[in-house]
Amino acid sequence: MHAIYGWVTGPLTWIAFLLFFGGLLYRLVQLLILVRRKEPFIFSYMSLKYSLRSILHWILPFGTVNWRLHPVMTIVTFAFHICLLVAPVFLMAHAILFEEAWGFGWPSLPDVAADWMTLIVIAGAVFFLVRRIVRPEVRFVTSTSDYVLLAVVAAPFVTGFIAYHQLFAYRWMLVAHIVSGQVMLVAIPFTRLVHMLFAPLTRAYTGSEFGGVRHAVDW
Amino acid sequence: MKRFVTVLLAVAVGWLWATAPLAQEDMETVPNDAFTSPQRPPAVFVHDAHNEAAGIDECNRCHHVYREGQLVPDESSEDYRCSDCHAETAADDGMPALMGAFHGNCKQCHLELENGPVMCGECHQRP
Repeated sequence: MHAIYGWVTGPLTWIAFLLFFGGLLYRLVQLLILVRRKEPFIFSYMSLKYSLRSILHWILPFGTVNWRLHPVMTIVTFAFHICLLVAPVFLMAHAILFEEAWGFGWPSLPDVAADWMTLIVIAGAVFFLVRRIVRPEVRFVTSTSDYVLLAVVAAPFVTGFIAYHQLFAYRWMLVAHIVSGQVMLVAIPFTRLVHMLFAPLTRAYTGSEFGGVRHAVDW
Repeated sequence: MKRFVTVLLAVAVGWLWATAPLAQEDMETVPNDAFTSPQRPPAVFVHDAHNEAAGIDECNRCHHVYREGQLVPDESSEDYRCSDCHAETAADDGMPALMGAFHGNCKQCHLELENGPVMCGECHQRP
């Protein structure tokens, strides 16, 4: 088990984070090259003011007409995304491992809070799954990859929850947790999970066009 | 009178037993009462069985003494609590905080020797 643990927390972690950050950088450069080649005039009306105005409205729950039209979806997606980001980054166990490796850490959440946030992420994933199945307009645009991506995102949280509570097969569950987290990190730049990077850019572009060209609001 | 003495003796022995400090041979976990708000169950550590299995004879292998950042090889600190030196939050003098000291003493040694528990829940076992 020492060899497996050393492998997943050592080389595999390096590979996962290099592919994550390198992949995000690659996608950003690739996007900028694409825009420059196909629609370079976009750069002429990009505006920091209209970009931030759009991002601010869309990052606030119920800050847009669309959020207000779908209150349940709004609450679930905000709770899901906030917990998805905050729980792993501010988990005490993660901060400890980081500090042991790099010599510095950061403040972390009480385990009880992270535990509830994990449950919120899992519940959100179940909500999105059921929504894809029962809502005809969503099912129509759903492909197998959407289910796979949902599983990829849910897996680190499900395995983390089981490992934290030591429900069964603790050692293997922790290895599964680490590996599934690495799979998720690597999947982010190279799948539709790249919206983590692209969503603010899409809003910046749309906000700039609506603000500077159409003289309308985009929320 | 004989009965009275017996009862008195029984009470005395019971009192001694109940209030006796945790002897190393009875130790099954590392006490975590020095933490304001411990987040995990105390780490499993059966002192004598561990040291027998690990072949540790010298107390100061774990009960170390550092003076001005330097390990003092011939001294040991088993009469002190870890928290007597290691504060809950790290100080500026480079002394590891209490949790870092525990993890450094146990987990780091296990990692280096590739033997013994290294995953969170292997030590912090839930009852």
